[in-house]
Amino acid sequence: MTSQEAVRELLREFPVVDGHNDLPWALREQVRYDLDARDIATDQSAHLHTDIPRLRAGGVGAQYWSVYVRTDAPDPVAATLEQIDCVRQLLTRHPEDLRPALTAADMEAARGEGRIASLMGAEGGHSIANSLGTLRGLYGLGVRYMTLTHNDNVDWADSATDQPRAGGLTAFGREVVREMNRLGMLVDLSHVAATTMRDALDASSAPVIFSHSSARAVCDHPRNVPDDVLERLPANGGMAMVTFVPKFVLQAAVDWTAAADENMRVHGFHPLDTTAEAMKVHRAFEERHPRPVATVSTVADHLDHMREAAGIDHLGIGGDYDGTAFTPDGLADVSGYPNLLAELLDRGWSKADLAKLTWKNAVRVLDAAEDVARGLQATRSPSNATIGSLDTPAG
Amino acid sequence: MADLQDDLRTDAAAAGEFDERTEPYPDEGVVTAESYEPVSDPDDAPMTRARAILAAHPVADGYNGLPWALKRLPWYDLEDGESTVDTDVPRLRSGHVGALFWSLHLPEGLDGDRAVGATLEQLDLAKTVARACEEGLRPACTAGQVADARNRGRVAVLLGPAGAPALGDSLGILRQLHLLGLRVLTLTGVSWASEEGLTRFGEEVVREMNRLGVIADLSGASTQTLRRVLSLSRAPVLCSRSAARSLRPHPANLPDDLLAELGAAKGLCLVPLTAEQTGPTVRDVADHLDHIRAVAGAHCVGLSGTYDSGAAHPQELGDTSCYPRLVAELLRRGWDEPDVALLTWGNVQRVLRGADFTARAAQQRREPSTATISELDG
Repeated sequence: MTSQEAVRELLREFPVVDGHNDLPWALREQVRYDLDARDIATDQSAHLHTDIPRLRAGGVGAQYWSVYVRTDAPDPVAATLEQIDCVRQLLTRHPEDLRPALTAADMEAARGEGRIASLMGAEGGHSIANSLGTLRGLYGLGVRYMTLTHNDNVDWADSATDQPRAGGLTAFGREVVREMNRLGMLVDLSHVAATTMRDALDASSAPVIFSHSSARAVCDHPRNVPDDVLERLPANGGMAMVTFVPKFVLQAAVDWTAAADENMRVHGFHPLDTTAEAMKVHRAFEERHPRPVATVSTVADHLDHMREAAGIDHLGIGGDYDGTAFTPDGLADVSGYPNLLAELLDRGWSKADLAKLTWKNAVRVLDAAEDVARGLQATRSPSNATIGSLDTPAG
Repeated sequence: MADLQDDLRTDAAAAGEFDERTEPYPDEGVVTAESYEPVSDPDDAPMTRARAILAAHPVADGYNGLPWALKRLPWYDLEDGESTVDTDVPRLRSGHVGALFWSLHLPEGLDGDRAVGATLEQLDLAKTVARACEEGLRPACTAGQVADARNRGRVAVLLGPAGAPALGDSLGILRQLHLLGLRVLTLTGVSWASEEGLTRFGEEVVREMNRLGVIADLSGASTQTLRRVLSLSRAPVLCSRSAARSLRPHPANLPDDLLAELGAAKGLCLVPLTAEQTGPTVRDVADHLDHIRAVAGAHCVGLSGTYDSGAAHPQELGDTSCYPRLVAELLRRGWDEPDVALLTWGNVQRVLRGADFTARAAQQRREPSTATISELDG
């Protein structure tokens, strides 16, 4: 039996739980939620990394759909609700393939039915507008993790990619974590500063996740997890879900991206500017400096290291498909997971190891968070703390 | 039990052919003089009769602001009694209140994302208050759940009205608020429901509300909006806080022509017990109820206590325990039992059932609307 065949057999029993997929955002940006214009029951490879046939080909059994909205949006709460509505419309349209899931038991039920368990994660504390009532509203609508920040700081937590301000979590930030614990919403530490990761691990009484982050020791990028934090995962019970984004996982791609961004600034453009003139400048740069390409092996290197630092019980996968422009060779879209698993099998990972990586760890973590929530709800009422009451304004 | 049997009939009807139905909704659960069984002795004193009728047909109170009023209290106990507010379980019981609509209206001036976020907070607050009082209150969304709460001896709590700005001009947000329990939406204060009436997007909002079972509240809406919604809505509408303008000029009170149109459309005018809108005495309130019953019909009038919302109330109607006084006054004026039963309970139940039925039927026919305000209103 080849590695690919062995992986296929394994995925039939223990499919992939993916921690982060930005399909809702892509549908919002590309077609303003016109789901007929992007029918994911059919091949959408011309437009998207994700559709149902390719999820099936990739052996995906559960997906956390990101309900991400931009941090500079004037209406982050409203936009988040629209993103949630998009996921619900997808579930209503594809009941044979997608199963709404709110709990670990739902994930197992979906696996038994051969459907893809569909969960939701909010990507950034800006989605709750400094309000625990709004956080509870998102939980009520089915959101099961919240990344504490996106690329910019929020008032109560520092991001990995912004200037340090709070030095981690503020008092209100710790209250947000405690309330998430009480609800049973997973605390997601992708995107946050290392100081925030450590503060959240101190504050959380439930397992945390990194929905899409790789290892900083392998590739020095702030979006990746430092070793001291990975080493705390066994005691916490949580997991780091490796991401594939080339500019986070491949050092040459990190350096290339920095140079490309600098080139844009030199020419007077924001690095993320996608106007025609800006793209022309960018293409010219890319012709002079070919873009380094990450591979399946690059991602496997991260997993090998993360396994050393955190242990096999604390790993998962979070591809960030449809949330990144580029993908590694062999992991071009959501049908690529078997290539990664075959590579790991060839590197000596056992089938039992792979079953933990793909399925078992993620289900255990959500189950444990539900358990903690049940305990806390017996003794603690919903928090009515406000940011004003806990975080005294500086000066 | 009557309520449960009505449920079975409604379900059976819902399984039939929706498209061939000419009536916008069935008259299930409508009390008529012929089918009504009296519960009081006509020879008893009015107050005794009022209590007997209310025991069988409690008040479904269309507007109450308790959660927001409790926000300023560091601690409260609704089950034991809370004298700093107008609403608590002992007084709801002695007033024979069987269902409450909790207002989610926001402080003036909130719009855009702040209105959406604040509405999520209001929904959360309402649920927290209800959950802390499980012996007395029971959250309910549908008419069946309201009946169920009553059968369990609890006061049913429904969420709404909320103001239209809560939608953030988005049908997707309307759907999420409905999932969180929103049942009534007031169609004022937005570009798509203004003095000029409904825009195309406004009409699409009403259709989507029909599909979901969110009831349109037209108190304070412009005449244009009210008329357009009456002709467009396939489910009955209500005015959550409107009295008769011919008796007392107030912008939210309805002139006779609109009352008659509301009655013809089988809508519901819920009269607020506020000195400002109805006048300072029980007799003033009864005058409004008399007038609206005469103009719109006995099937189209109900009560909104408007307690804990900051309004001043008529004398002797100061809190949620006072409904028997009002009903006794109506009996003295010659209201018969069936009309009182409709006023207190039956009409609200009919509107809820109508909205539930319309939603079930519409969901067979219509996909969730993906229309946007920029698409429809430019």
